[in-house]
Amino acid sequence: MTCLDVRERLPELALGVLAPEDRDEAERHLRWCAGCRKESEDLSRATATLGFVLDPAPLPHGLDDRVVERVAAAAGRGAGVRRVRTAAASIVAAMVAVSGLGWGAVMAGRADRLEDRAALAEARWHEAIEDFRRVLTEPIPVGELSRETAQIGTLHATASGRGGGAVLQLVSPTITDFTITIVKGLDPEATERLPYRIQLLNEAGDVLKAGRIDELDADGGAEVFREFRQRDLTGFTTVRVVDADQTVVLVGEIGRL
Amino acid sequence: MAGRPEGPLLAREEQQLVEGLLAGNEDAVRRLYARYARPVFTLGLRLLGSSEAAEELTQDVFLAAWRKAARFDPARGRLSTWLMTIAHNLAVDRLRRETGVTRPHLVLVDTVPEVPTADEDEVVLERDAAIRAIASLSDAEKRLLARAYFGGLTAREIAESDGIPLGTVKTRLRTALIKVRRANQDKERP
Repeated sequence: MTCLDVRERLPELALGVLAPEDRDEAERHLRWCAGCRKESEDLSRATATLGFVLDPAPLPHGLDDRVVERVAAAAGRGAGVRRVRTAAASIVAAMVAVSGLGWGAVMAGRADRLEDRAALAEARWHEAIEDFRRVLTEPIPVGELSRETAQIGTLHATASGRGGGAVLQLVSPTITDFTITIVKGLDPEATERLPYRIQLLNEAGDVLKAGRIDELDADGGAEVFREFRQRDLTGFTTVRVVDADQTVVLVGEIGRL
Repeated sequence: MAGRPEGPLLAREEQQLVEGLLAGNEDAVRRLYARYARPVFTLGLRLLGSSEAAEELTQDVFLAAWRKAARFDPARGRLSTWLMTIAHNLAVDRLRRETGVTRPHLVLVDTVPEVPTADEDEVVLERDAAIRAIASLSDAEKRLLARAYFGGLTAREIAESDGIPLGTVKTRLRTALIKVRRANQDKERP
């Protein structure tokens, strides 16, 4: 969708009456387009004004207590998930830092031969995994995230791709399953290959969507977080990153720590 | 936030309130409820047509606000606007999901409201500003916005119903919203 297409749809988006498929596409555009986002926010503010013109109705007795109870109950349940998410974010930051050093060394040409580059990249990823393994057990309370629930895997370039990546997956019976995927070293100039999509596969060949990459940073990197509220990720151990033409560019297996 | 029980909140006060909500703090939830529950419930009543549905919607709105609290940015808009946007989106989603829901009546301004509490002063100011903003529209523009916002009709549905081009409806919706936005610019954050 171009900016023109999106702007034509913004009034309906603001009024909450845009068709779901158009809404999803417009919202994806708004994530990266500051100009359209500004107009969208302006129209949304105008729309919210409309809600205030109604003659206020009396509130039902006891509704305040029911609202407080629901939020308190949700906050209590959600605390574990939020702590895990915060912890996971810091772990990912650590991984990015470590892996960044590894890729930096590769990019700087310290290892010229293909085998050396591969070996160095491999070594750096092992460092990243070790670092992850070490910090994983510290910030996350025992019982909420164990070695049985956290899985990690590395992504390697196929013949059609370049770069690499890592995937952290949480599969837990008590908190929301999620994946965090980090890619690095994809070609940032090859914008025609965007968007990249991350897929999880099980042995039966079922495919789950684990996120989408709409833009890469200057190093060809990106991070994607995806929650699976309705799905159990058990068995979905193969990870693929495909480009816009569905060509697999990165692939890997995740396994228990 | 002590010492300013009435009137619009400053950006940092709204931020503190939302942080309290994020933490599940009961006092913060009650303060939010005291300030904003009535317009949320009223919108639910108008869109969904029953007190039960409006009550459920009100609970859902505060729960959704708790879930989204980390994303609230006072620099990008007022808390009241943010909550009403959540409320409207949830109500329209529900309208679409549930078949057989009667389309609400298209009324923009009704009779004099009952006496508000001190905490609701901000909402009264919002309502005054909203009524002034709506007054800047022609009758046709008021009806058009009401059909989309309160009636949940898409631009295509309106175009087909009125027998006018889809592009014309979209342009008119945009023009009307921009008028409201302009009329509202003088009531931005204190």
